[in-house]
Amino acid sequence: MRSHGIKERHEHKYKRNLKHRVSKRNRMHGHKRIIKHHISKKIEMQNDGSYKDTINIALAGNPNVGKSVIFNQLTGLSQTIGNWPGKTVERMEGHLDFLGYHFNLVDLPGIYSLSTFSLEEIVSREYIISDEVDVIINVIDGTNLERNLFFTFQLLELKVPMIIAINQMDLLRKRKIDLDFKKLEEIFKLPVLPVVAVHGIGVHQLLEEAIEMVVYRHPHFHYDRNRFPGGKHHSHSYYRTEHVHKKVKYGTFLKKEFKFPDLNDISSYGKEVESKIRQLNGIIKAQKKHLYKYNYPSRFLSIKVLENDEEISIFFEKNEETRRIMILAQQMREQLEKLHGEDINTIISSEIYNNINKIVQQVVITKSDVKIETIADKLDHLTTHSVWGYVVLALVLFGLYYITFSIGDYLGGLIDDGYNIITEGIYQLYGEDTVAVKILWDGGVGGFFGAVSGVLVLVVPFFLLIEILQDSGYLPRAAFLMDRFMHSIGVHGKTIIPMILGFGCNVPACAGCRIMETEREKKISIALTSLVPCGATMTVVLGLVGRYLGMDWVLVLFAINFLVLIIVGKFLNKSMPGECTELIMEMHEYRVPNYEVILKQTWVRTKEFIFKALPIIIVLGIFLEILVIFNALDPINALISPITVFWLGLPAITGVFLIYGILRKELTLVLLGLLAGDLSLLLTDIQMFVFSLVTMLYIPCFATIIVIAKQTNWKYALQISLLEIVLALLIGGLINWGYVLFTIF
Amino acid sequence: MIDIMSKDSLKEKHPFAGVPLTKCLSECEIGEELLVISVDAGKKAKNRLANLGIVPGVKITKNKAAPFQGPVEIIVKGTSLVLGRGLAEKIRVRCKGSCTNTT
Repeated sequence: MRSHGIKERHEHKYKRNLKHRVSKRNRMHGHKRIIKHHISKKIEMQNDGSYKDTINIALAGNPNVGKSVIFNQLTGLSQTIGNWPGKTVERMEGHLDFLGYHFNLVDLPGIYSLSTFSLEEIVSREYIISDEVDVIINVIDGTNLERNLFFTFQLLELKVPMIIAINQMDLLRKRKIDLDFKKLEEIFKLPVLPVVAVHGIGVHQLLEEAIEMVVYRHPHFHYDRNRFPGGKHHSHSYYRTEHVHKKVKYGTFLKKEFKFPDLNDISSYGKEVESKIRQLNGIIKAQKKHLYKYNYPSRFLSIKVLENDEEISIFFEKNEETRRIMILAQQMREQLEKLHGEDINTIISSEIYNNINKIVQQVVITKSDVKIETIADKLDHLTTHSVWGYVVLALVLFGLYYITFSIGDYLGGLIDDGYNIITEGIYQLYGEDTVAVKILWDGGVGGFFGAVSGVLVLVVPFFLLIEILQDSGYLPRAAFLMDRFMHSIGVHGKTIIPMILGFGCNVPACAGCRIMETEREKKISIALTSLVPCGATMTVVLGLVGRYLGMDWVLVLFAINFLVLIIVGKFLNKSMPGECTELIMEMHEYRVPNYEVILKQTWVRTKEFIFKALPIIIVLGIFLEILVIFNALDPINALISPITVFWLGLPAITGVFLIYGILRKELTLVLLGLLAGDLSLLLTDIQMFVFSLVTMLYIPCFATIIVIAKQTNWKYALQISLLEIVLALLIGGLINWGYVLFTIF
Repeated sequence: MIDIMSKDSLKEKHPFAGVPLTKCLSECEIGEELLVISVDAGKKAKNRLANLGIVPGVKITKNKAAPFQGPVEIIVKGTSLVLGRGLAEKIRVRCKGSCTNTT
């Protein structure tokens, strides 16, 4: 929302400026004058369409640095989520118009390096070097400078037009640390900007910088101490270059013409390694004709061929002459490894970290050395404590439900009361047995109110709480505590994160399983997450078993569910090839959740629910009433009655609802309630128990199945569905027959 | 629980490995400042750790260990990183205090 505010304010300024340009010219200075230039440029471009007015930007950086926050601030809600062609890696795209340019933004997956160890890294590397993107914005977490700069150094080797955005500057300054931006700019010879993404500070400046790169084709210097003497923050000495008169021809590739600064002094390695790379570089340059189409700079190729990078090796394999380079690189690698007693990746990483260390010492300004123990530190201690940590985890999960259901129950009750009063009125006005009243009111409106009072009031508070948990940084702590346990079911601690999210809704949770590093872990995590009882399932369980049988039985259902979860985990762990990898995870400091981000995310998810689920519920409600009127339910129920009636011991009427439940699980209960009114008249205690259990386990809902298929493949999605159907029927039937036999004897 | 394999391979690399100057990260006390000597993990994990700044010669601090033989949290280059127990067992470190006294 804020991003729009800023953008509009900008645009508003131009218009105003344009009107009073002459009269205000003398008063205008700095920023406003540039804005005026932008407007004149826009007009020029409208006159002649042959100028470049679209800028493609990619956001790159480590995971969790606020890339997505910047992306959201810039693009607002105009995002599309897709997949990279042929890959299961998510691709986030968004657009905006700013300063007369159209910007296409792509949020690249968060990665630590540009090797080829994961699909995300390969996708990012290929995209950054492709002609599809003009400018890269490298987002860096200022509180984690060294580790983030490692990735920056890798990007520098690609020699693409690049802007460095240092995020979390507010946190850094709170710790009495500042960065010398002037120095950073001198070192990198590229624009380096301070950003506070959560508050939208500095994010639009990044785009202005991108425009400047497109216009000038070489980076500009922006910081000048002499110009603003006595500025407290170094960022205050930032001034803008006026950059508009130049025309940019359409169809020119910024990348090909961009004069990338010479960064030899910072990116050179130690003597032994550097001499080898230079030697390789010389040979590769001579053989450029064979490698030209790969777009990578020759120095990057030299480093990667020395590192024995899988993908680059394939390029070199293709030709006799380049293959010779590979053999040479092989010898060099062996020499270096022998000399240092370490493998090549470690050697090169050490070299890069050495260079980073030198830079960090120059740019970090520590104003106070005293480390104060903050509330965040105390919270961290508590939530990772060997006893209290688990207590907190249990409380968090319990609180998640408790708060959700107290709010939901209260609001739901109010809505139901209101609905009942209106229903009375409607019945008196139009009569209770009219076909139109039955279909439209009982079916349509009744279905709508049932969904709102039974589901929406629960879903909204839950999404809100989940977002707070996610934004505050609690979830990695849960992963830390649960790692050991998760290993016993074939995955490492990180899986607990999508699983906790799964309590809210399996759909985003299964999509969240992409944080897992290997395909194997992703698959197991998805299977486990899809078995977590989601908010919708909880409405069924609590609305039926909780309400009529008591909370003890809800706990029994939970126990069974988690037993199934563990068994499935162990089964998949055994049956899938490969081994469980070890946990490597960053644990960020706690931070006060940003209410704007939280509300926005909650709204996005709620909106999805309202627009995607509510119409289904209303239509089905009407459809169901029609089926009831024409007595059409019985044949369908009769068809599946061998399963429902004989094996599970349920009334025949439940059959249709279990089918509807595949669309959304809460439908089983919402529709059943719609039909029966008082459920205790329809179902016996054991039937309620079995019905809830089957609903919990029998299949991931339709949306979840689609997400699973997207994250893995359709075959796996169907396998999981089938596995869960079999398990649900098996356990449900056993309980039913166990009960029947028990009562006979 | 250090497996015999890693001890043997360590001896080949460091002739003084028999002298208990180094130990694995998982054994160290919490709060100790440590110097990374070697990372004996698989290629992939080793590369990932190197990317994150865990290379021989780097100073790290062990900050926390999760209960039930769980993962350890270390501070490397001023920021925290959680490593699974199995991985922590493969990182050899030297520490100032306790290492030299143990046998």
